[in-house]
Amino acid sequence: MHLVQRMKIWKELRRLEQRAHEEPSPSTFVDLGQVHINLEMYGKAQAVAEQGLVLFPKSTELRQLLDCARRGLRRHRAADLRVRLTRSPQPKLYRELAQLQIDLGDATALQATCKEWSVRFPDDAGAWIVLGQARLLAFYRDLAAREGHEAVRCLERAVQMDAADAEARALLGELLYRIGAVSISLEHLRVLERLRRGDPELAGLLARVARLADHGTDVAALLGEVEEHGSLAHPSVALAAPRPQGDESLARIRDGLAQVAEIPGVRKATFIKGSRALVRGAIRDGKDPFLRVVRVIAKAAHRFARRLEIGCASRSVVDGGFGHLCVCVFGEVLAAVQCDRGADLERVLGELQELVADSLYAAEVEGA
Amino acid sequence: MKIQELLEELRRTPGVKAAALLTADGLAAAESLDPAFRSDVVAGLTSFLLTTTNRSLRDAGLGGCTQFELHASHGRALVLALDESCLVVMCDQFADLQAARREAQDTARRIRLCARLAR
Repeated sequence: MHLVQRMKIWKELRRLEQRAHEEPSPSTFVDLGQVHINLEMYGKAQAVAEQGLVLFPKSTELRQLLDCARRGLRRHRAADLRVRLTRSPQPKLYRELAQLQIDLGDATALQATCKEWSVRFPDDAGAWIVLGQARLLAFYRDLAAREGHEAVRCLERAVQMDAADAEARALLGELLYRIGAVSISLEHLRVLERLRRGDPELAGLLARVARLADHGTDVAALLGEVEEHGSLAHPSVALAAPRPQGDESLARIRDGLAQVAEIPGVRKATFIKGSRALVRGAIRDGKDPFLRVVRVIAKAAHRFARRLEIGCASRSVVDGGFGHLCVCVFGEVLAAVQCDRGADLERVLGELQELVADSLYAAEVEGA
Repeated sequence: MKIQELLEELRRTPGVKAAALLTADGLAAAESLDPAFRSDVVAGLTSFLLTTTNRSLRDAGLGGCTQFELHASHGRALVLALDESCLVVMCDQFADLQAARREAQDTARRIRLCARLAR
């Protein structure tokens, strides 16, 4: 690129950056991200899109920008892997490249990669597993019998090459029970159980699949039925699995809080939702003044931010002779600690945010 | 250097949108604000924030607050308690808060010095 041209672009970039700072809106972020994409600076474009999405989480244009930036990053990584594979082919690199090609939806390139992979490493079942995965994705998306056949063929080939390959067995087992071939699926799942001894999830899956109605062993006919009816015979494990119970979410939050309390310098830690509070550290009981103080700080900060029109207060740090009081809030959820002056504040705040985010996720799952 | 000049200098820090020196009863003694902020609103709300926090801390036997840092979705605020006043700094959400904090603390130190010399 000509030097003058380059200078012009940099000038434009600076202007757009300034605009995004001063007048943040989805379009200012998209304009800035677009220039980064034109310059093939996908990492920066991704950062701009993520920054914009923090402010405008519902913006479709920003989501498209993020998607475009991520695709650019994947293409770059794929090109880099291609060069490395030409120099020194390795199954690990082939797998990474093939996964990228699946993400990019580049079926032709994926076929070529897997073909090359299986020619160079004929004893490696990886190429067949990745091909099977790609076919499975297409089958679950379109419910086209042809894709299902191909998926079964690739995964069976992988199982034949390496009978101890748990990944191929798991994928094949799932596909078969979902189309109604329960008895064949159970054969694979039982082998998988021997391979993964003591896996409680697998034991649960086996018990659930064993209770499903068997529609026969003719896989081709079952795939045809799926295509004809436009629906699978049985739902996936994830959909059929019971949702996390309140106790499990609580246990997770308790563990997270214990983790925060273990950070050097942290004296007291709490997680408050509505009128309920979990506590860790030097807290006597529910009447400990620390609990009242953090509630007051959170409320005052919320009011201050709202009235000054700077959005919702998410983090507050109060310093004094007592050390630091750190408060993270989102909605009715609050996580806070009191720590000494020397404590690693960044780490404390990071853990508190994680705790709040975890509890929100749990609430979402429970509410779904 | 006068307090007003110190605040204007602080305002030149990237990302800083407003800087004001407030009295204990919530009046602006000196200020350098972006037009988006009204001095009486900033002063009143900062006074509320600091008074509420201090009262609660004292009730809990923790003493007073020396600094309050607040992160919100569209901006950040930093309140530094001085002897009988406080310095409030408002930043945008992209500001490098570490740099702004350093500048604000330096300004607070210089304001204290100015106040001592004036006595």
